[in-house]
Amino acid sequence: MIDPRRIIMVAALLGAVGIWLLLPRGKVRGRLLGLALGAVGLGLLASQMPGLGDWVAQSLFAVLAAVTVVSAAAAITLRNPVYCAIWFGMSLLGTAGLLLFQGAQFLAVATVVVYAGAILVIFLFLLMLAEPGGRAPYDRVTWEGLVSAFAGAFIAGILSMTVTSVLAPRAGSIELSQWEPVEPPVAVTDQQRQQGILADNHMQQIGGALFDGRQPTREGQSPKPGYLIAVEVAGVLLLAALVGAAVIVGRGRQALSGPRVEPAGSPSPGGPPDE
Amino acid sequence: MNNGELALLNDYLVVGAILFGLGVIGFLSRRNMIVMFLAVEMMLQGVSLSLVAWGRFYNDLAGQILVLFIIAVAACEAAIALALILVLFYRRGTLDVIAWQDLREADQPPYAEEEFPEGPEEVPPRWPSLTPAGRPPETPRPQTDYRPHV
Amino acid sequence: MFEIKTLLVLIPALPLAAFVVTAALGKKVLRQRSHVPLVAALAAAFLASLGLLAQVYRQSQQAPDAGPAPGHESAAYEKIVPLWTWAVVGNAYTAGEGKLLAGPAESRDFRIEVVLRADPLTAVMLVVVTLVSLLVAVYSIGYMHGDPGYWRFFTYIALFVFSMTMLVSVSNFVLLYVFWEAVGLCSYLLIGFWFQKPEAAAAGKKAFLVNRVGDSGFALGVFLIWITYGTLNFHDVKVAPDPRAPERTVVYHDPADVQNANLAGTQFGGVLGRTTLDNMAEHPRLYHGAALVAICLLLMLGACGKSAQLPLHVWLPDAMEGPTPVSALIHAATMVTAGVYMVARCAPLFAASPQARQVVAVIGGATALMAAIVAVTQTDLKRILAYSTISQLGYMFLAMGTGTLLGVAAGMFHLVTHAFFKALLFLGAGSVMHATGGVIDIRRLGGLRRVMPVTCATFLVGALGLAGIVPLAGFWSKDAILQAVRQEGTAGSGSTLYAALYVAALFTALLTAFYTFRAFFLTFYGPTRIPPEAGRHAHESPRVMTVPLVVLAVGTVVVGALLEWNRVLERFLARTPSISFLEGAAHAAHSEPGFDWSIAAASTLVAVAGIGLAGALYLAMPALLEQLTATMKAVGLYALSAGKFFFDPIYSLLIVRPLEGLARLSAWADRVAIDGLVDRIGGLPPALGSALRPFQPGLIPFYALAMLLGLLVLLGTMLI
Repeated sequence: MIDPRRIIMVAALLGAVGIWLLLPRGKVRGRLLGLALGAVGLGLLASQMPGLGDWVAQSLFAVLAAVTVVSAAAAITLRNPVYCAIWFGMSLLGTAGLLLFQGAQFLAVATVVVYAGAILVIFLFLLMLAEPGGRAPYDRVTWEGLVSAFAGAFIAGILSMTVTSVLAPRAGSIELSQWEPVEPPVAVTDQQRQQGILADNHMQQIGGALFDGRQPTREGQSPKPGYLIAVEVAGVLLLAALVGAAVIVGRGRQALSGPRVEPAGSPSPGGPPDE
Repeated sequence: MNNGELALLNDYLVVGAILFGLGVIGFLSRRNMIVMFLAVEMMLQGVSLSLVAWGRFYNDLAGQILVLFIIAVAACEAAIALALILVLFYRRGTLDVIAWQDLREADQPPYAEEEFPEGPEEVPPRWPSLTPAGRPPETPRPQTDYRPHV
Repeated sequence: MFEIKTLLVLIPALPLAAFVVTAALGKKVLRQRSHVPLVAALAAAFLASLGLLAQVYRQSQQAPDAGPAPGHESAAYEKIVPLWTWAVVGNAYTAGEGKLLAGPAESRDFRIEVVLRADPLTAVMLVVVTLVSLLVAVYSIGYMHGDPGYWRFFTYIALFVFSMTMLVSVSNFVLLYVFWEAVGLCSYLLIGFWFQKPEAAAAGKKAFLVNRVGDSGFALGVFLIWITYGTLNFHDVKVAPDPRAPERTVVYHDPADVQNANLAGTQFGGVLGRTTLDNMAEHPRLYHGAALVAICLLLMLGACGKSAQLPLHVWLPDAMEGPTPVSALIHAATMVTAGVYMVARCAPLFAASPQARQVVAVIGGATALMAAIVAVTQTDLKRILAYSTISQLGYMFLAMGTGTLLGVAAGMFHLVTHAFFKALLFLGAGSVMHATGGVIDIRRLGGLRRVMPVTCATFLVGALGLAGIVPLAGFWSKDAILQAVRQEGTAGSGSTLYAALYVAALFTALLTAFYTFRAFFLTFYGPTRIPPEAGRHAHESPRVMTVPLVVLAVGTVVVGALLEWNRVLERFLARTPSISFLEGAAHAAHSEPGFDWSIAAASTLVAVAGIGLAGALYLAMPALLEQLTATMKAVGLYALSAGKFFFDPIYSLLIVRPLEGLARLSAWADRVAIDGLVDRIGGLPPALGSALRPFQPGLIPFYALAMLLGLLVLLGTMLI
């Protein structure tokens, strides 16, 4: 059988070329080819992934992963930055789905709320502010597209190769039926519930783990620590970021009374518009 | 080790790696500062997926907790970064990252594009037309594309 | 207070103190009074040297007389004053094959000790030096009056007198070399005193460089002495008697020294004490032969440089660019006599090597003749006197070249008398220059005896002394030289050479008288011609300048007879430890008591003939002069003489031009190769920087890409 690592390498290369073709390079040619190549690469890579045993799980995971990856690819290759932002939001939803798949409900929702709801919105605000007229010239070109594509593909490929070669039990394809089903996350036993370890409400789990280190453990695992101080620090960080952002923009405004490069066509406040 | 656990880990790690790689490509090749930042956030997403997968594998909630912190920090970082991008935009009037070359060496010539490829033609919007009745409405002073103030 | 030790230290110390004071205070404080410290110091030093002379004379007379068998014992006197040890290198000289020390276990330190010695030779030299320096310093008060470098002049003179007195007082070769160089330095400084004048600066450089050539020979001689003898002192006092040496010289030391070191009857060690004169073949360990000849010739090279003998004489005529007092002091009386002093001091060395002696005599005789020939056609009064100095120094070396006590004493006698009349002549020339506004070309002067009678009279006395007319000083000393030469010419080895040199010396005496009185008559007689540069200055010099002239004139008249009375000088000098060896030489002849009439008659005849010829040609018969000049020109002698035997052009062609070319080549190599190499090495960092500079284009995506690529390399090495 062909070494799966070779196949992954080929997949990565194909994906790189595909992404490169997809990147905005001034002319619209080649996007279809890029799309095809990217799909082929993705398919090759996916063929080397070990299956999850249960075809429901497998297909669910495949859909979610596909949504995530395709949206991400779209987010970086489209010309209109607003579209990029929108597709990034889609990718976020895919990520949230994957997190849900792992049983991290709180995180999934937090991702959607914070990322898609806050950060993405700020992105869109800025984009609207900056170029409401449409496409700027610098959005139509890339800087060193080929090198970037190969660099990114190299990273993804290396990681994938390593991971697959380490974690896949043996070379070659694995029959789905030979896989054992995934164990569900550790459920809280009645004994542990009586000891005060919380039920498998994910938010409560996270909260308990954060503050006390109360986590359901299997036999033989050592008790886990809490992360209280980190929470406090994160709070301070948030405060600092808040204040900092306000100051930066405020100071930046004050500095605008000095010399400033006006883009062509914009009116100076209070003066006649210059053509 | 359960095969299923290994497989789950493997799949998630690969997806995370792909997301990370796509983020890298986006960061390096786009010139719009906001899209670059978008790619950075994408990289963070890939890392989050990997972390959660590892946490699940070792049955330690620390993975998810770290992802929580990542979300918090990413929010801060986004705030500051976008504030900075705003100020930079006010300075030069463009979101192009190439506009900022002032830290180059003294005798290096600046990078300048000869010409940009043309974009798609601007199709003038077709507005629905009403039958003229009465006086033509007063059109307000034409809005300029560029608003100096928010 | 007046013991020898104090006086000996005082004599150099006083000018040194004057040097320091004038150097420190001269420019701002003393200014036009800068002569005061020097004149005071020199007067005191002169009195001290007189006292020293008296003391040494008294002590030396107390030494027991020579024994009954001539040639085996002679008495000498010395007093050693050790001051401090300058440097010591332990066990620097080890015995071995071909070396002088006795056994394999013996080794010696290399010591440079600052030790002064008082013996008759030193005492005589000190008196001469201090007296002439004093008179010149007094004269300079008038001559250099108003010069902006007044204080500098006296500073240099003070340094020079210090160096010269130390030169004649030290007791080993290293210090002799040190002060040899020091007087050379002072000569350079003083010749180029008016350094803004390019000829003066060039003349100073030429003097120093030509001296340098001689000094390198001297240095090589000193090295050879060290290798051969294992010591550099003139006389090492504490040496065990060597029974193999047939000579034993009884030394009368100072009673204090005798008590301290039990030195009575000690044989001499040191460089000058090891040379025997008899039975040399029986004692091969005592050095003679090739090593000694080499040493002597190298030392003679040094003396040639310092005393302006062939072939290193070319600097002295150019040195006349300096102020006239400098010419009088340094280039007539003192510095140029340092070479003569050195040869006199090393008399045992020269006496033991006949070949070197003959070379010295030939050099002296040839120089005397050549310089006299050149002086006949010169038109610059100072140049005439310069060539005259060279000629008279040749006489002195001729005398030293005989290697007998008579010869050495005659040379020293001539040194003393020459100091008087040559300094007188130079100061007189300076007086003339002072009156005529700096013009010294005798073709433009005339009849100055009416304008400056005192100068004329003293110049006449000096000229008569130089020509050798009885009873002036030159007569006695020149006769002594001629006598010594003729004695060698009649007996001993190389007699034909000495006989030829005798004839040459007589002819040179004729020429000497001729050119001296040519200068005198052209300057002071004939119609009065005063050049326009004189302005209103054509008058007699002030008293401060004429008094030294008169003193020197009196000295010229008196000194000769005084020192020849009963052969005082000769017997006094014979008490010097190194010269006393000569008394025991088998082939040496004492000068016969009594007066040698034939030589006296010959020299007087020759001198009078020269004076008469000069007077006749230049005063009475200009037509004959024209004819004679035309004849000489036709023969080519005139061109030879006027061109100074073409030494300067030959040296320029053979030595100076190649060296200039070499210097230009070196400069080119330095500029192109070495500087180029350094520039290129220095250009490496900027080049490297330029190569690395494109890594900082200021483009953020570029930076990100670079960072990522580095990360990828790391990742690759870790994961693959």
